[in-house]
Amino acid sequence: MSEAIRNEPILSVEGLSVRFGGLVALNALEFELHEGEFVGLIGPNGSGKTTFFNALTGIYAPASGRVTLSGEDITGLRPQQIYDSGITRTFQRLRLASSLSVFDNLMIGNHRNLDQGIVTNLFARRRLEKQIMENIENSRMLLEQFSAPLASRLLDPVSQLPMIDRRRVEVCRALISQPKILLLDEPSAGMTHEETRALMDDLLASRERMPGLAIVLIEHEMGVIERVTDRCVVLNYGQKIAEGGYRDVANDDRVRAAYLGED
Amino acid sequence: MPITNRSYWPVVASAVFAAVFVLLFLYLEEQWEIAVLAVGLVAALYSAVRFGFLGRIEAAASDHPRTTIVVNFVAALAVIVLLRGEHFALLMLATVFLYVTVCLGLTIQFGYTGIVNFAGIAFFGIGAYTTAVLTAHTGVPHLLVIIIAGLVAGLIGSVLILPLLRTRGHYAALVTIAFGILFRTFLEVSDVLGGPQGLKVPGMQILGWSLNDNISLGPLGSVSFYASYAVVALLLAAGAYILVKRLERSWIGLNLDAIRTDETAAASFGIDVPRWKIFAFTVGNCLAGFAGAVYAMMSGFIAPASFNFGDSLLLVSIVLLGGSGNPLGVLPAALLVVVLPEKLQIIQEYRFLLFAVLVILILRFRPEGLLPRKMREYFAAWSRS
Amino acid sequence: MDLGFIAQYLLNGIVLGVIYAMVAVGFTLFFGVLDVIKFSHGDVVMAGAFTALATYAGLELLGLGYPTFAAVFITLAGIAAMALLGALLAKFLILPLRNAPPLNTLLITLMFGLALRESVRLFYPNGSNPKPFPQLLPDLSLSLGNLELRFDSVLLIIVGLGAIIGVHMLIERSRIGLAIRAVAQDPETARLMGINFERVVLATFGLGSALAALAGVTNGLYYSEVNFGMGLLLGVIGFSAAVVGGLGSLYGAIIGGFLFAALQTIGAVWFSVPAYKDVFAFACIIALMAWKPTGLLAAKSAERV
Repeated sequence: MSEAIRNEPILSVEGLSVRFGGLVALNALEFELHEGEFVGLIGPNGSGKTTFFNALTGIYAPASGRVTLSGEDITGLRPQQIYDSGITRTFQRLRLASSLSVFDNLMIGNHRNLDQGIVTNLFARRRLEKQIMENIENSRMLLEQFSAPLASRLLDPVSQLPMIDRRRVEVCRALISQPKILLLDEPSAGMTHEETRALMDDLLASRERMPGLAIVLIEHEMGVIERVTDRCVVLNYGQKIAEGGYRDVANDDRVRAAYLGED
Repeated sequence: MPITNRSYWPVVASAVFAAVFVLLFLYLEEQWEIAVLAVGLVAALYSAVRFGFLGRIEAAASDHPRTTIVVNFVAALAVIVLLRGEHFALLMLATVFLYVTVCLGLTIQFGYTGIVNFAGIAFFGIGAYTTAVLTAHTGVPHLLVIIIAGLVAGLIGSVLILPLLRTRGHYAALVTIAFGILFRTFLEVSDVLGGPQGLKVPGMQILGWSLNDNISLGPLGSVSFYASYAVVALLLAAGAYILVKRLERSWIGLNLDAIRTDETAAASFGIDVPRWKIFAFTVGNCLAGFAGAVYAMMSGFIAPASFNFGDSLLLVSIVLLGGSGNPLGVLPAALLVVVLPEKLQIIQEYRFLLFAVLVILILRFRPEGLLPRKMREYFAAWSRS
Repeated sequence: MDLGFIAQYLLNGIVLGVIYAMVAVGFTLFFGVLDVIKFSHGDVVMAGAFTALATYAGLELLGLGYPTFAAVFITLAGIAAMALLGALLAKFLILPLRNAPPLNTLLITLMFGLALRESVRLFYPNGSNPKPFPQLLPDLSLSLGNLELRFDSVLLIIVGLGAIIGVHMLIERSRIGLAIRAVAQDPETARLMGINFERVVLATFGLGSALAALAGVTNGLYYSEVNFGMGLLLGVIGFSAAVVGGLGSLYGAIIGGFLFAALQTIGAVWFSVPAYKDVFAFACIIALMAWKPTGLLAAKSAERV
């Protein structure tokens, strides 16, 4: 466990519930995340992991509960406000704009640092071009940290990239605005073991460069969870059933029952 | 700043080629000549794509965006000058430019932002009717009338914003379809707006100069008054083109693309989806309104029959035919859709049928349009930045 | 306004509602199995009516124009022809565009509708003018004060409602209905379960188009007139009804159909100029979309994230 846990959490979730009609998808969840922490979120299919991400990021409105980020109440804010407050995410099924270039996709992720004024965009071309040049440099640097060949494909459409590079672009899109918290929704989906390993190495390396960054990772491959996370939270039927280091959690009877029950 | 080292000659060559083509297309009258030209256009576009000329032209245009606009503008002016005495040809040319303006508005709405507007002709009509009412009842200067007409179109469009923001996909399509039909029916039954007979509109006057007067150039013969309208329409279309291009090359264009490709992802990265949808929808409708105003003054008379649901479909088809999201594709597509049926009298009767079949074939076999959209290039010589 | 007068409006409204519901059920069926909007549906209604009309001309030539027999025969002919057309349309225009943006499907069918409309206008003898539709139902009526209860209206209501209930039973009770529901629920799983996806889609499009043909013939018999352009408005109304009801929901389509007829009837009574009824009805539709963006009874839930 990292020493960060002794500090105040940057994200704290109290009693968060999400309902769809009669179905309780998330039931009074308690969750804390500290600066620099890497937490794994595991549980069988349909246990509420992605629902939790969606409730955190404002895609679903919570039925009850409270979410605070660095002491500020962010419960029920709209997705764009959540992003502006410093939480970014990736999606289980890649949601990149595949017809657009890698650069464009990264810039979508960098929205809060870009000048959105109509005057600047339409009339002050020089200022805009300077901003664009700076962002090209930043994007190249960020991509190079993940994969040097990918950086040279900055202007290519995403649709021409292999799966692992798309995943990398999606992670970079979430990182480029320098968020406080990164939510990764099953980044290994659709990739081989080797590719997953490479992506996780990239992630760990980039974590070194952004020491304050806290990461929550949804992942089915327990090997990955064991290798990269500081702590795990296990969900089942929308409820937290265990929490702690990977080894403790893996030996927990309820966790085993939940996974066996699934099979 | 980016280095520019490619020659701009491909741009000039293509502009000259296009100008000669348009000139012949508008000037020739023999049916077989027109047919040869139409086939020739398709063949030229096809071989331009197939053998990479198009790529070279586009690369050169990307390196010299200003030159491209100036050269094409001059070429269009040259066409107008050469056709100076031909009423009908100039009327068609002016109509093409006005349709291009509306379709550039649709490009912002649909091509970039993904808002389908099946009421394009209604907003064009709002501009036209606003012009008719304003010129009949007030002494507002005509240039101002055009601007007001565009703003009114944008304003009336805002009625649809709430339902458009709340709906998606087919549900959103219904909103504009319902509005288009509602507008047409309303015109028919509204006595104030002239009912089915429509309204008369005076010719445009700019700073005391009446555009409806033919101009005599002594030995060069007289210039049709439609030439003046063609120039006005050209200026409007060129302005709209520059606006659309600037939008595309900015962060705003990126926001719009992000919304089209994935609204949820866009919102998850801070993009204010409602704000940009309202922006795109309103700007697009304003462009349609401006064009409608010029159209009303040029034709001198407007009636509900010019603003059918079918015409809205025609506009959407021009955008798709040209290549959705590519402002450059709108011009050849509008030329084909507007001028070809007028020129080919043999097919006049069958034009909607042929046109429907043409669009079906395009959607089925070349869904990306005649000139597919390229990657966004934020500035000249982008690929070498 | 007396009771008989109101009852007359009500009766006319119900006939319209039945016609609209028949068209709307088609839209909702297609959306259910394939998530597409087939915008040529209104023109299929028109084509169904014209097929019946042409069949009647043929029967007359053969000296077989007995009213009751002809009414049944030409209805069946229209239904069969449109069912085939619907299936062909699905096979050659809609299924190939399955992975294209949904708007492309909408546009290609819009254009197909335009082609159908133009073909009738150009190639049907004197097709650009309204054509009288034969009066094949007995001209009986019952006068109750201001209410004229026409036998044919009652029959059309019964047949129309019967057809809608029939389609409903087919979907709920039969094997093919089960397959249609399975595909609507989850096409991938249905395919894995051994359901022939393409056949189900073609059957659905055939079924919906057959209903459209019935709506077209009903429309012709009721108004005693058909014209090549009638499908455009009928299609838009059917689409509005299906969307307002909630795409994918059979009940929604029926409710939507009657709702639109009710709006038009209210509009006609309310405004002194009856032509405002469509303006009123479509304005209400736009307002309804703002209030209930996925229709009154949405059958399909929001997208997965």
